[in-house]
Amino acid sequence: MSVHKIWAVIRREFVERVRQKWFWVMALLGPVFFGAIFLLPTLLMTKGGVKHIAVVDGTTTSLGAAATGKLDSTKVFQAVRVIAGPNVLDSLTAQVDHKELDGFLIINDSLVLGKAEYRASNVSSFTAQATLENSLSTLVNRVRLEQEGVDPSVVDRAQVRLDLATHKISGGKLTGENAAQSFSLAYFMGIILYMAILLYGINVMSSVLEEKTTRIVEVLVSSLKPFQLMLGKVIGVGAVSLFQFVIWGISARLIFSQRSRLLSGDMQGPDQVFQIPHVTLATGGVFLAYFIGGFMLYSAMFAAVGAMSSNEQEARQAQQPVSMLLVLSFISMFAMLNDPGSTFAVTLSLVPFTAPIAMPVRWAAGSLPLSEVALSLAILFVSIIVVTWIASRIYRVGILMTGKRPNIKELVRWVRAA
Amino acid sequence: MSTPILVVDRVTKRFAGHTAVDALSLTVPPGVIYGLLGPNGAGKSTTIRMIMNIYVPDGGTVRLFGDGPHGGDQSARIGYLPEERGLYPKMRVLDVLLFLAEMKGMDRGSARTKALGWLDRLGLHDWRLRKVNELSKGMQQKVQFISTILHDPDLVVMDEPFSGLDPVNAQVLKDTLFELRSRGKTILLSTHIMEQAEKICDHICIIARGRKLIDGTMTEVKRTHGGQHLLVGFDRERGAAERIFADRRLVAKHDGSAQYAELELAHDADAQEILKALIGSGARLSRFELAEPSLNKIFIDLVGPEAATAAAVPGSEHVRA
Repeated sequence: MSVHKIWAVIRREFVERVRQKWFWVMALLGPVFFGAIFLLPTLLMTKGGVKHIAVVDGTTTSLGAAATGKLDSTKVFQAVRVIAGPNVLDSLTAQVDHKELDGFLIINDSLVLGKAEYRASNVSSFTAQATLENSLSTLVNRVRLEQEGVDPSVVDRAQVRLDLATHKISGGKLTGENAAQSFSLAYFMGIILYMAILLYGINVMSSVLEEKTTRIVEVLVSSLKPFQLMLGKVIGVGAVSLFQFVIWGISARLIFSQRSRLLSGDMQGPDQVFQIPHVTLATGGVFLAYFIGGFMLYSAMFAAVGAMSSNEQEARQAQQPVSMLLVLSFISMFAMLNDPGSTFAVTLSLVPFTAPIAMPVRWAAGSLPLSEVALSLAILFVSIIVVTWIASRIYRVGILMTGKRPNIKELVRWVRAA
Repeated sequence: MSTPILVVDRVTKRFAGHTAVDALSLTVPPGVIYGLLGPNGAGKSTTIRMIMNIYVPDGGTVRLFGDGPHGGDQSARIGYLPEERGLYPKMRVLDVLLFLAEMKGMDRGSARTKALGWLDRLGLHDWRLRKVNELSKGMQQKVQFISTILHDPDLVVMDEPFSGLDPVNAQVLKDTLFELRSRGKTILLSTHIMEQAEKICDHICIIARGRKLIDGTMTEVKRTHGGQHLLVGFDRERGAAERIFADRRLVAKHDGSAQYAELELAHDADAQEILKALIGSGARLSRFELAEPSLNKIFIDLVGPEAATAAAVPGSEHVRA
């Protein structure tokens, strides 16, 4: 009988939410947003990466022409040779200023000694700098070896380009992931967890508030227990979020599989900061476990906040301490990505309020002993029970209250009241 | 006498600093329209919420359908219309009705058939797929009313059902209540509008400041508490009416205007004496009628001074839980 009623509450929460426009807006915008996070850096690096530069040649040998040719042959630069002379630097500077030129390289005979200068509007581009250094040093090495009388064919053979592949070791096994993938996966999971828990937690809160302000809650609690109502609400909204994930998952797969077509550019090379992460079943499991756990924990708190407020404005204020806990975990994510094994990161992944974001982030960033995950999940589980128990007591009294918001002392009394 | 549908036994509810309901007892027999009457802040809504198991009494018990205190799930047998109305504003009318019926243990299939029937009957058929907040206030009231009785409850509890209803909808509600009663259902409603209660209630209970002042069938209450009443209409000439009405041996209380007076006869007084005295003093009468007192009169006599005090306590109705 009660199961039938709880089911009806779950069904209502689910159907009414999925019918709303914002659900489908989110379903559509989510992949676009996440796609942007993934694709933008790659886009900027490949397409925006073609820089038009001038090479100011002050050499007395053919080295300047050779350097220009070498740079021009890369995908990063389009280089034009300019003979050094009076006022050349000034006019080039003016061109850079007018955005007719991205920058210019100044070389003279001391290039052989390893000296050159690059002036540009943007000198922070990692790719541009690496390409410049790489191209010039290869050239100089060759010239110097030839000057020492080494056979050019030997020089060619001696020059090997090193491509460092990084691979993550997990559970004693080599995974297909490299460093960039681990980072992007951890980052991605952190953002999704943070947004989803916050968004859907607040959804639970407004649902509670709606029933309270319309007073329909009186009819409901005369038909089923407040706890059953709260449970149905949490499960119903949680199911909506899982449904949203399914939609996101499918569309993300579609976007990624069509990625090269979407970009229609050259996607090769180790320059990509974000790569498609390889999500293992275990990682998926960890993500899901912590999402469900985190959502249960936070939505119980958000439900209590909704119950103790009597309008939107009050609720917005009252939910701040709860949201702060989530924001804290989110901000700490970047420090944890840097050093997933630090005491700070380990602590956050055990504290139940930060664990739902901290633990999956650490899991994705570096391999973790299963025992640590198990301990963290156990703590989270116990906390969910305790927090839900407290929240349901606040909820039970709060939903029938009118008038001003209770203070901490009154809240404690509500919790204690049988 | 058959088993009462509802027995409220010495229930008490205290809120921070004041007692809203004080050892109140009442018994509702089956198949009647029972009026819980009282001024604002008398404790009507609090009593109803305890009956509905929304508030837990600080003392006393509520027994429904002859069972123990809230034994088992009886919500399916009760329909409840709260004082403050409200539905999910963004839900479709039919969906709200189905959901609330499910809350009462109905399955969606039979709820749908019944809901469509009621929507048809109350002229809301074309609105069934519209959102609640697109409906007028009166239509929303009707929808909420349907939700109260959709699951065909044996006991219908309505807190101020007539407040905010226009005369047409009030008539629809009244007709439906009579129909429910004719089908053996029991209705408990609260109101502070005595004219309304007088027309529809079989049983009444008048409370003020959380205490019962009187209860019983309408006839009993009128007989025991009203005394004998005399309605007098004057045709321009009042004669020595004032002097005669002031005679405590004949008239206990009197009230009225230049053309009309409602008298409560003194104990053992004979109405014919008054008639003789009035005629003798030269009054011309257009009406002289022995009557039951109006419920309004009984109510004011009983709670008049107290009602004034209750209303003077600021926010006495707003302190809840």
